[in-house]
Amino acid sequence: MIEVITLLGTAALIAFGVRKRLAVVGTVTLAALAAAIAIVVLLPMDASGDVLELTWRITELGRLAAVVLLGTLSLLVLAVWVDEPAYNFFPTALAVAAVVLAVLAFTTPIAVYAALLLGLLVPVGTFTFQVHRNRSAEAAYRHFSFVALGGCLGMAALALSASLGRDQPPATFVLLVVILVVAFALKLAAIPFHTHAALLASEVPASGLALYFGVLVPTTFIAFAQILVLSGLLPAIVQIGKVQDLLLFLGITSALGGAFLATGSTELRRVAVYSVIANLGQSLVGIATLSGPGIIGAMAIALVTGMAATQQLLAAGTLERRAGADRPSALTAPLAALAFVVGGFAMIGAPPLVAFPGHFFVELIAYSYSGWMGTALVIATLGVLVAQLRAAMAIFGTAPDRWRVEQKPIAGIVGGLVFAALLIGGVQPDGFLQPIAAFADEFLRALHPL
Amino acid sequence: MLLLAIVAVTTLAANSARQLRYTAVAFFGVALAAHLIDDGSLTAAQILVTACAALVTSAILFVAARDPRFGEDPGWRLWIATTVAAATTAAAFAFLRPETGDEINTNFLGPDRSGVTTEVAAFWLLSSGIAILLTARGAVRGSLGALLMLTGTQLLVQQVPGPHLALTLLLSWLQVVVALAGAFLIVNQRAAHEA
Repeated sequence: MIEVITLLGTAALIAFGVRKRLAVVGTVTLAALAAAIAIVVLLPMDASGDVLELTWRITELGRLAAVVLLGTLSLLVLAVWVDEPAYNFFPTALAVAAVVLAVLAFTTPIAVYAALLLGLLVPVGTFTFQVHRNRSAEAAYRHFSFVALGGCLGMAALALSASLGRDQPPATFVLLVVILVVAFALKLAAIPFHTHAALLASEVPASGLALYFGVLVPTTFIAFAQILVLSGLLPAIVQIGKVQDLLLFLGITSALGGAFLATGSTELRRVAVYSVIANLGQSLVGIATLSGPGIIGAMAIALVTGMAATQQLLAAGTLERRAGADRPSALTAPLAALAFVVGGFAMIGAPPLVAFPGHFFVELIAYSYSGWMGTALVIATLGVLVAQLRAAMAIFGTAPDRWRVEQKPIAGIVGGLVFAALLIGGVQPDGFLQPIAAFADEFLRALHPL
Repeated sequence: MLLLAIVAVTTLAANSARQLRYTAVAFFGVALAAHLIDDGSLTAAQILVTACAALVTSAILFVAARDPRFGEDPGWRLWIATTVAAATTAAAFAFLRPETGDEINTNFLGPDRSGVTTEVAAFWLLSSGIAILLTARGAVRGSLGALLMLTGTQLLVQQVPGPHLALTLLLSWLQVVVALAGAFLIVNQRAAHEA
């Protein structure tokens, strides 16, 4: 695994060197990503090793998440290469791929955290463009500040909890775990820590936004769950109900707040971003229930939401570019518009897509906890549904005499591929849910150690 | 204790500097002094890696300034950041110090095996970094705040049992990436401001 991470890191350096030769950098990037996916798939299950005493291990969830996230990155690279050339994007994508694999493979919590921070900081270069005409530099700076603040606080809390003996007063552990949770809420843009995401949504290029919400946000969520398991903090969380209450509060606030903000949004990319925040809120509720179905649902929602976000944000970017100064419309790019609409199905967790089981599990377990919690999540899903329907009606508001497929329909093709993958996953859900269930088992064992 | 005093003074120097180049030089002093605080667990390889990272980080900020006068005037933010950092350091140390019951022995020049000096320096850097980052108007002081926080975090990570050299390398890389991202933002914000 370390060799694959090194391969991607080296490819990122090469891509940076040749970033202005589009054909070369595109080929290098896609070839490196394809090679990484192939090696990860071919690695034996539970393969492990170490480098400088830093251990790594490939789990079932790690392999699934690596294939999904690197696959999503490959589609993004293809879209940028063909439709929206941005030189900095290729080396950034490769560096992010290396970081994603490191996060999924490392077994030392602080190493996972440090790798995650590297990944969250690298896209700063892809967020800024035409700084004289927009506020993308300010958006990138705000993202940088949130990541630095949340990252350092979280890693410091993790280091302190690891160096303290277990016989410390409960208040000390409560404080450290609360700092860790808030630190992740900052990085996940959970409400009320979402202001940087709102600015990013309106100011940065769609491809950079898709890289962040489609790949890095799901990676952050997986890292959060993995760090909870690896750090040995879970038994303390069970004993002290306050942390669980905090997670539930953050989750429900994000689910309802994200849905509410998505419903009020008129921009396509804001609808997609707030839908992601609403779904991550549902995922946080799933983790907070500390139950098997909740954990499975949470991880499934995080992964599927990343794919749907990529699909919708690329489509939104294409629709905006083709519309110019006018409102985005299906008249200028019908396939991209269709991709945006079908991405909405995945966002709301509609069957038969593989997005459905995750939402179903989390809402079911939320109802088993309390009626109002389940109702809040159903209301949040309905809010996202209304937002997506409004966006779809706005795009398809006027029908032309004859539909004509746009030139370079790459956003539509990417959307079609993602939809097909989600449909296949929905028809055969075991292949997707089984690895997540294996992780849920590990999580529950860490919750109640012998 | 001498190194702790150097960390405190150089942090104040970095915080009060109006020119980015002075900030970069002062940060080099902060990082070097912080990583030389010896609690008996540091190896020569770790010190070398952290010193290299500190030098590269400071060089990146120095180059990003482009001219000697460029920077951000801290104004009243200097006093807010210093007061908040001092109060938070004391509170954090009182609340989060392990209850080992061991007697605390510190000396002026030699190594401090109890780890007290390292922890105080870590809390000071973390709280100074937070205060600077939260009151920053732009990427110049924002980058300084992030780098101070990360240096404090590195000191806490040193005390965790585990793969020390690997974690030192990883965090040093992170420090360099924070500096690169900060320099990129400084250059872009300057371009946007001058347009």
